[in-house]
Amino acid sequence: MRAQNEIDFWRGFALVTIFINHIPGIYFERFTFRNVSLSDSAELFVFLAGCALRILVDGSASALPAQWLLFRLEARAFHVYVAQIFVTEMAIALLAAAALLLDAPYLLDWHNTSAIFNDPVKAHIGLVLLTHQLGYFNILPLYVVLLFIAPAVALLQRTAKTILLLVSFGIYAWSLIYGVNLPTWPVEGTWFLNPLTWQFIYVLGFLLAGSDGIGGFARRHLTLLRWLALPVVVLGAIVGYTNFSPDPVAVPEPKLLFTFDKTFLAPARLIHSLALVALFSGAFKIFQPWISRSSEYLCLLGRNSLNVFCALSLLSLSGQILRFIFGGYVALDALIVILGLLVMGVLAWAAEWRERFRADLASKPLPPPHSAGF
Amino acid sequence: MAAPPHAEEASVPPAAPPLSPPCDVPGTDIAAPATLPNVTQALQKGEKIRILAIGSSSTLGLGASSTTRSYPSQLEVILEHALKGVDIAIINRGVAGEVAEDTAERIKSEVALKQPDLVLWQLGTNDALARVPPEEFENTVRSTINWLKANRIDVVLVGVQYTSRLARDENYVAIRDSLRKIAADENILYVRRYDAMRFIAQRRANLQLMASDNFHLNDLGYQCMAEHVAHAMIISLFVKRLRPIQN
Repeated sequence: MRAQNEIDFWRGFALVTIFINHIPGIYFERFTFRNVSLSDSAELFVFLAGCALRILVDGSASALPAQWLLFRLEARAFHVYVAQIFVTEMAIALLAAAALLLDAPYLLDWHNTSAIFNDPVKAHIGLVLLTHQLGYFNILPLYVVLLFIAPAVALLQRTAKTILLLVSFGIYAWSLIYGVNLPTWPVEGTWFLNPLTWQFIYVLGFLLAGSDGIGGFARRHLTLLRWLALPVVVLGAIVGYTNFSPDPVAVPEPKLLFTFDKTFLAPARLIHSLALVALFSGAFKIFQPWISRSSEYLCLLGRNSLNVFCALSLLSLSGQILRFIFGGYVALDALIVILGLLVMGVLAWAAEWRERFRADLASKPLPPPHSAGF
Repeated sequence: MAAPPHAEEASVPPAAPPLSPPCDVPGTDIAAPATLPNVTQALQKGEKIRILAIGSSSTLGLGASSTTRSYPSQLEVILEHALKGVDIAIINRGVAGEVAEDTAERIKSEVALKQPDLVLWQLGTNDALARVPPEEFENTVRSTINWLKANRIDVVLVGVQYTSRLARDENYVAIRDSLRKIAADENILYVRRYDAMRFIAQRRANLQLMASDNFHLNDLGYQCMAEHVAHAMIISLFVKRLRPIQN
């Protein structure tokens, strides 16, 4: 498995944060960074997904012809899509089982699941089309869309570098200015994380992870960018701590440009998340020696982010059900967090063990076939 | 078309819409009036009233036979009938099973996009079931109310429903009490669904307000909910003197 690196570390960090933040009311939520931050782990996760795409495109996939790159990335998108369908179905079954065992029909409402049970014909079509998403299970649908467009991102980078940033920014600005988002169905509404705007932070992650273009510019001027980022991060901490939000009536049109909206990834949130990246980029190398065991664990999670993400989604839902049964006690919350982190770690370790086992098998010569004996 | 009534100025203010026999409960079991300054101002100007109905399954209308039987849809009809000539537009943004913290996030987004005059926020049940600490729930609700007030948007809290099973649940009671306290402290209109539904359940035991799952409302349940919210709003819009909240 690859050595510890910054992207895996922060991915692991984002995964742990998402696990805790997806259990409403849990005691330990107060220690997650969103309490002192304008943006949260969702921005970090999507930005890092962009970085990971760049590392793939510039690394192991750099020699691939365009059609093979397209095939590889679309296969990955399909893999994540299958994971989303699987994890959603597991969540539905988990809630249904809990509702039956506890004789608690209200659990069938949680996180927008009610349409599955009350309007199953339409809701199942919506699940497959990703237009029906469960609450807290709405990051993977965004990720599917981003991976689906990943070949376009990668091929534009190869053929027309300057256009990529312009196109991505153009779609972001258009969506923000006109409030355009993808619809949900059968429950009327819009996507919780709008792919039309969130693609921009994905593309920025992709571009900034490279050594040329804006990535090269950022590296050359990192000290200056860090000084610029510092007041933004401090302001973001104040906003997060005070829960300040601009007056949507007073701000001029187009209002989404001036609010702190998460669905549309408002510019303030985007700038804040980029400032966090500028300030903390490279920090991993400095503090890694002091937290070697923790960083080893977080990198393990980060290396297996899809498996871990699916697991944490179900673990956080299980945590919610446990809190419903036993009440919101700190001791129970501590147990949920400890068990959750343990299971996530074991699953990531098992995934790597399986890969190593496969690699070992592949490297050994096959034993001669036994004679049939009859 | 009849001229729209002007709140607090109309010579004969519209009477609160009569409650249908199955939904009839004492006014004190519905709400204590509180001012709705922004809607009042819009009425005085004869403008269209835009209402954002947000919350969970009771807003979405789970258990109703069709979307037109959800409480926001029925409320729109009742209000337009009561405030003759006034154009009322209610946007339904119910998401089943959602806790207040997530709804609060959506409120900010929806307010920026739809710019409503009033937010009808139905809440509490899912926070109680998710065991969200009442003080945390209270902080979320208070900060959102203050944000809405600062942005000159009226807010009406629509409380938890009555079900015999959850009536003894510690968290459920704590969240219900928390809502009462918030409404009293912030002087905002709070529709006490729990009290109204309990009155009906105790006095008219043969009436079924719930769907077959015994958790969501049925058409009659939503009709009563819409009537109670409409009653509370009209009384508040045209009230001359406020009565103290009676718990």
